[in-house]
Amino acid sequence: MQDKITQLFKAIAEPKRRDIFHALVIATSALSITQISNQFEISRQGVTKHIKTLEDAGLVYIDTKGRERFCSANAKPLKELNKWMAFYEQFWDDSLDHLDTYLNTSNNA
Amino acid sequence: MKDRIIKEKLFNHPIEKIWNAISKAEEISSWFIKADFKAEKDYQYTFTSEPNEKGCTTINGIVKEANPYVLAYTWIVADTNIETTVTWTLEAIQGGTKLKLEHSGISSYAGDTAIAMFESFNGGWDNCINGLTNYLKQEVNAR
Repeated sequence: MQDKITQLFKAIAEPKRRDIFHALVIATSALSITQISNQFEISRQGVTKHIKTLEDAGLVYIDTKGRERFCSANAKPLKELNKWMAFYEQFWDDSLDHLDTYLNTSNNA
Repeated sequence: MKDRIIKEKLFNHPIEKIWNAISKAEEISSWFIKADFKAEKDYQYTFTSEPNEKGCTTINGIVKEANPYVLAYTWIVADTNIETTVTWTLEAIQGGTKLKLEHSGISSYAGDTAIAMFESFNGGWDNCINGLTNYLKQEVNAR
């Protein structure tokens, strides 16, 4: 079983997928596979594959209407990851400051 | 996007002094977090933050490497099964020591668990850090 964060990294590691994801983030409404395919000049098949990877990572929602599929972005998984990083960035900065203080004040006998 | 945190800091202290500060239980307990710790490979350590009204967090793991001057251990928070790795590397430089801290392994997290970990972690941790800061301030003032 492949876990979610690994999928998340895999999904955003590929430049073309990042571009597609970005286009979905800034789009005012959901984009169809056809629209994405036209915008990026890649085949529907190629777009479908990228979208599937993004969907597996929880970054894209797909809504099927008739014969067309509409995609919209979900940035929440990235926010969670950011939150984790931000927390530990601060945590280690603080801790190293404490270490510094400790080293400067501890008796070095 | 990166999946690791790397911090580098220069100290104008000898490498041995810093090695002791990061590897000896008594010293870790002074500046970082209450520690049951030995810098021995496979030692199962426990860090316990100071208790307060919100309760505090326990961190445990296994020492993976403890050769001067590289110290690595797994980092598992409280009741989660989420394992990351913390690695300290010291390097003697002219006039002091370069410390590199690396915290890696977020990419091996299960997404939902990572979120749960945050929620369990955030409550107590900030207060404990504040407690530690106050403790250090008192130490400094006492001297």
